[in-house]
Amino acid sequence: MAKHSYEYNNMNPTATVLRRLDPMVIEKPRNPIHIHTYGGETPFFRGLTEGRLMATKCVNKKCDPSGKAGYYHLPPRVYCPDCLEKMTWEDITDLARKTARIHTHITVANPGAFNRVPVPCEIISVEIDGVATVIMSYLRGAKPEIGMPIEPVFETANPTYTILDLSWVPRR
Amino acid sequence: MIKFGKGNLATPKQMRPVYIVAAGMSDFKKHYPEKKTEELAVEAFRMLALENGLKVDGIQELKRHIHTCFYGHFADHFGDQLLGESVIHDRLGLDPMGNCGVKTGGATGGSTIWMAANAIASGYSDCALAMGWERMDEVDTWTGNHYIATAADKDYETELGHIYTGYYALMAQRYWKTFGKSSPKFRRTMSKISVKNHGYACSNPFAQAPARITVEDVEKSPIVADPLRFYDACLMSVGVAAVLLCDEETAYKLSAHPIRLWIGAGSHTLRTADRRIMDIPLLPNEENNKDVLKLYAGLKGGKNKERYPGFTGFLAARMAAYYAYHMTGIVDPCEELDLVELHDAFTISDIQTYEDIGLRPYSMGPDYIESGDAYLKVPEDGTFPKSLAGKKGRLPSNLSGGLIGNMHAVGATGIMQVGELLWQLQGKWAHFHARPEMWERFGKKKPKDFVNLQVPNAKRGLAISHAGVGSHVTCTILMNPKSVIKK
Ligand SMILES: [Zn+2]
Repeated sequence: MAKHSYEYNNMNPTATVLRRLDPMVIEKPRNPIHIHTYGGETPFFRGLTEGRLMATKCVNKKCDPSGKAGYYHLPPRVYCPDCLEKMTWEDITDLARKTARIHTHITVANPGAFNRVPVPCEIISVEIDGVATVIMSYLRGAKPEIGMPIEPVFETANPTYTILDLSWVPRR
Repeated sequence: MIKFGKGNLATPKQMRPVYIVAAGMSDFKKHYPEKKTEELAVEAFRMLALENGLKVDGIQELKRHIHTCFYGHFADHFGDQLLGESVIHDRLGLDPMGNCGVKTGGATGGSTIWMAANAIASGYSDCALAMGWERMDEVDTWTGNHYIATAADKDYETELGHIYTGYYALMAQRYWKTFGKSSPKFRRTMSKISVKNHGYACSNPFAQAPARITVEDVEKSPIVADPLRFYDACLMSVGVAAVLLCDEETAYKLSAHPIRLWIGAGSHTLRTADRRIMDIPLLPNEENNKDVLKLYAGLKGGKNKERYPGFTGFLAARMAAYYAYHMTGIVDPCEELDLVELHDAFTISDIQTYEDIGLRPYSMGPDYIESGDAYLKVPEDGTFPKSLAGKKGRLPSNLSGGLIGNMHAVGATGIMQVGELLWQLQGKWAHFHARPEMWERFGKKKPKDFVNLQVPNAKRGLAISHAGVGSHVTCTILMNPKSVIKK
């Protein structure tokens, strides 16, 4: 895994860039690295690197309404948002291959700093049968349309270990 | 939560009446290197203390009344200063009074007033300051867009383009295709909102983006995220706004014209992804309306299966309005209110909000503009039928210029809106907008085409403060004490 070795403490105190004298305006450089955990949602992100779409489901029979409806949550949740019982993980890759479609979409020509989605970014919201939610993701190699049938693609060769390891293409 | 119980829907109670007596603001600019945020805060406070006709002998006498302070500031990243609230509190010299920072994204200003109002309503404080600000000019737009995008879920959304506008635009696209039918007519309605708000900003000395533009200008402006264009979008601003809230006794001690204030707040999932299909919560003017109920039954079902309210509406706004209307006894907002200040982050979200707060039923938002209701005076530029042109609108919206024409200094925005409503209801709009001195102090000249935007005999107003894709929304209602509906 890549290791960053940015040095925080060696900034040359004489190196401040002066932008303007009156009012005095200077540059303040920043370059921090955050060490971030996926915690209990790790099965989802690990699943993407292994070519699987993992969702969660509430199996608490008393839960109203998630348990009754038996709906999957994607993004996954460790705890059910309704009854707060632990949810169960399930592989829904096949369900997604067969039923996923675009709920809405947007083309982003000018993304913000740190973007790694190919530009223009075709951002989509994805409906899947039996899934209560509509996960945000991105489409490759086609112009999106509402209702377009799509299937998931996983970045297993060179994973980013982020949500970007999941993308979609028109269903073949 | 997609099913509610009685506790969830209880009408919020104020244990005693809340009043608003004064407002103050800085001017709003995209870049403001001439002044630090804390200077702008002091200037806004000075205006609040010295220019609202308060019955006090100067700033120090007013400060002796203030018991608690609530400070709204959305983005620590932008200011690059944790505890910015403490910096401002110090510069205002309000220590050792209790103060608290409030953060709810774009709704920060509204939420700050919510907290201050609750402090008064509960009896904790007799006089509370609500002040908000934002400084968004320390980084370039590219970095700024990343910062704003960190308000989305960082694991599931932010990586997708690092652009919040895009996440919002997913909803806009759905509304545009489902209810707008991608039609030029609907596009024109969106454009009219931008023309209106940039136009109203021309009579506001505080405003950042006054402009006399046409619907053609809007439709020729560059695409930000289809269908949204440059002129469809709000501003990014530096600036400060403040209001002073009091209990009844203090309000009448300080002011000859205090105004009553109520506020409700709602929320919805941070991620649009999590917006599950649910029943539409009904407002008082919809509950027993057979036509509306029939319309809504059709919207929910059908082959589209709209995820109501989630992608084409803002549940948080609906809930905030639900609470505020029940608190105040408002049934028909178009009939009972005299003006509104809405959170026009984008032209299309403005339309969605008309539906959320019951100015029109869901799917019929554009009619609020096309009927002429949203104008103080319906434009005579040929964009409206002759039968409407020049007529008085029923419920003028965003006479300040809103977020599109005036400002969006995030933490200040919801407070600016309520300040503008206060001045309108006190009949003081001209005092703060029409005097040449007001323009000169901000280095501007009062324009020749200045229009008097005081709503004649304004008695009741409403302001919506809204965060991003709708995670938080507040609904503030102001009324002249003589025009209170629910005794
Ligand atoms: Zn559950």
